[in-house]
Amino acid sequence: MLILTRKFNEEIKIGSEIIVKVLAISDGQVKLGITAPENVEIFRGEIYEKVKQATIEALLSTKQKTADLSKLELNKIRKIIDRNE
Amino acid sequence: MKIRTNQFGVIEFDSNIIIKFESGILGFEKLKDYLLIKVNNNDIFWLNSIEEPEIGFPMISLRLIDDYYPREKDHDAFGIVVMNHDILKITVNLKAPVYINQTTKSGYQKILDSDKYPVKYNLFNG
Repeated sequence: MLILTRKFNEEIKIGSEIIVKVLAISDGQVKLGITAPENVEIFRGEIYEKVKQATIEALLSTKQKTADLSKLELNKIRKIIDRNE
Repeated sequence: MKIRTNQFGVIEFDSNIIIKFESGILGFEKLKDYLLIKVNNNDIFWLNSIEEPEIGFPMISLRLIDDYYPREKDHDAFGIVVMNHDILKITVNLKAPVYINQTTKSGYQKILDSDKYPVKYNLFNG
């Protein structure tokens, strides 16, 4: 792993198109600004992991005995509006 | 072409129906080619890998859940479903939708930058 020390307002360039800038430092938090081409996906690490785990779980769930997907009563699905009730 | 899937056994198909995921599915980045298989006439789909045919993700059309779900031009939004024998424990991923353009046969997955959409959303009420 490459380790660099940066101060407030300083940048790191990754390749010719990606810039990471330190925008603010306070109370154990660092605010970063990232400039990158549109086709570069940028995720918070822990959210990526959470999504990945859920996808693996989805895959494993298909190998268990489950409710019959094709018989689900989709008209009884919980609409997102329910959450505000 | 012909593959042997877990859900549907052997499937024969024309290569022009393959859906290309240039960046893959998150966690499965190496797999790029998929079949989108519709189950009966409802809004359940399977996204089945061609490169590793034993890998298939059940998905549901997200317009069923939220009329205002973020749209992407010319794409349909799907959520990957975690199945369970108890339907009350079935969840769908609203945080990381799979967008598919069924005309150009291409797709990608996004992570939405919003707390409104959870990774595990219960599909049915208790």
